[in-house]
Amino acid sequence: MNMTSTLISLTDLGFAWPGQNELLDIPSLTLQRGERLFLSGPSGSGKTTLLGLLGGVQKASRGTVMLLNQDLGAMSASARDRFRVDHTGYIFQQFNLLPFLSVRENVELPCHFSKLRSSRARFRHGSVAKAATELLGHLGLADRDLLERRADTLSIGQQQRVAAARALIGQPALVIADEPTSALDADSRERFLELLFAECATAESSLLFVSHDQSLAKHFDRTESLASLNRVKREMEN
Amino acid sequence: MYLFRLALASLANRRFTALLTVFTIALSVCLLLAVERVRTEARTSFANTISGTDLIVGARSGSINLLLYSVFRIGNATNNIRWDSYETIAKHPQVKWAIPISLGDSHRGYRVMGTSTDYFSHYRYGRKQALELAQGRAFADDPFEVVLGAEVAEALHYKLKDELVLAHGIATISLVKHADKPFHVVGILKRTGTPVDRTLHISLSGMEALHVDWKNGMPARKGQGVSAEQVRAMDLQPQAITAMLLGLKSRIATFALQREINEYRGEPLLAILPGVALQELWSLMSTAEKALFVVSLFVVLTGLIGMLTAILTSLNERRREMAILRSVGARPIHVAGLLILEAFSLALAGVALGLGLLYVGIALAQGYVQANYGLYLPLSLPSHYDWSLLGAILCAALLMGCIPAWRAYRQSLADGLSIHL
Repeated sequence: MNMTSTLISLTDLGFAWPGQNELLDIPSLTLQRGERLFLSGPSGSGKTTLLGLLGGVQKASRGTVMLLNQDLGAMSASARDRFRVDHTGYIFQQFNLLPFLSVRENVELPCHFSKLRSSRARFRHGSVAKAATELLGHLGLADRDLLERRADTLSIGQQQRVAAARALIGQPALVIADEPTSALDADSRERFLELLFAECATAESSLLFVSHDQSLAKHFDRTESLASLNRVKREMEN
Repeated sequence: MYLFRLALASLANRRFTALLTVFTIALSVCLLLAVERVRTEARTSFANTISGTDLIVGARSGSINLLLYSVFRIGNATNNIRWDSYETIAKHPQVKWAIPISLGDSHRGYRVMGTSTDYFSHYRYGRKQALELAQGRAFADDPFEVVLGAEVAEALHYKLKDELVLAHGIATISLVKHADKPFHVVGILKRTGTPVDRTLHISLSGMEALHVDWKNGMPARKGQGVSAEQVRAMDLQPQAITAMLLGLKSRIATFALQREINEYRGEPLLAILPGVALQELWSLMSTAEKALFVVSLFVVLTGLIGMLTAILTSLNERRREMAILRSVGARPIHVAGLLILEAFSLALAGVALGLGLLYVGIALAQGYVQANYGLYLPLSLPSHYDWSLLGAILCAALLMGCIPAWRAYRQSLADGLSIHL
């Protein structure tokens, strides 16, 4: 396996919240550049915590989290924050947008906190605003009036596409999507995935897609189940 | 700078509470500045009550008492000065001018002061301003002429040639009136903003004429009274006066003459420097003035605490906003900065609006305050002191902003990127 093509590699990862039993114990997990990984796991299986570790919001209790060959555990908290925004875009289940900003401003947000992504957006599209407009256009939101509207005037489906555009602006190496389709109906779900895949391919970003909806797994390069990765066996509710 | 844009957008999203907060701060700032301005102007106008007079001389008592009755027309003299003492001092080689003052009568609550025509030529107030007549002339030879202060004429609706009757003593309702000897108005003075406005000026001979037929402090019995016509023919040389104001040829001589008067052998006299006595009197009142200032400071503090409450209450419902910001790359320090900027913006808007309210308020109230309290409130730019007060308010707001900032900082560290509310 070529090291340069590995985006994420977890080795012997362990994590526990202070004063609690170990929640995660993952011997190994890797993600290649450009790969689309479907990670399934029911709610309460430690998904959010794992994504927090990948984003460097939390620090592993033991083991290493390597992102782009850098050890996140060896960085300071603010260095991890900077590293995260430079290389990772996020899409969450719902309520991704700041309601008081316009659609375009929401998409531009990461560029205000990451010089790297801002310069990439300018290099490729001429300006951050153009990058936002183009991305939104590719995601089916080409209407100019719509771009200047308050984000909370959009439908949920439109909001998720805006969130996708925001995750992709400035071409981060990794896009993490945490149940982004659970608020959408079946038709919109398929359509959203298509658009997301297309844009990830254009931006050459890897996609880590977390969902409990197994019906989506067939669209992905590879599927992993958190329940089988994690050696900590948990009693599932229900 | 982008954080500032975010802070403003977020505030605009909560504009109702934000506006209320700004308005609370604005009102408190306006109150503080208004109190400060009234305080400064009251002190100036107080210090400007009398000027150009080097010494005030009266019977020996306390210096503040002498100042109160001779300048402010408050209280009474304990004793009089004999006419010959007045003449001796007035003829002193260092004395340029001397104004005799005789007090004791009143007219519907306003004090009557007997004096000489020198009063109109030498008395000074404010920045060495002389008294000016708005209408008519100063009193002359006829003893029954009166010159009114501006407020007396306005409040009692007197015009030139009106007749009025003076009352004995200084109570508002006096049982003993000098009804047999009416005075007529010959002049009305321009407004000065000093106690002069509340005084009726008559000549010393007029004052003497009122009491010429009095015996042992009682009006003449029926039939023994002297009519006004008879009085005009009499010699009305006063035997005593209440106080005198002195102007000296050289101010260097002030202390020497003061000592000389205080050691005068003819009768016990007291000479005071008006400036010093005014200072003493003001220091008595400064406690109230300071209390007012402290109260308005507390009102500002209340306004700022209101702001703090509003921001702290909003924090919980804004956890998602913070989490979204974190997920697009804002570090906890940015989140903290955002809240400090928010507090600062609210306070800045409050201060600006407060200043606006102050000027609108002064523009509206200026005439009324001048007419009713004799206090001129200028529409001048804020003083250095005002600016430093405003600066201190903004600093306090910044400091207070650190509290929600710290909480949001902790909160955003704990919440991380996703929060499912």
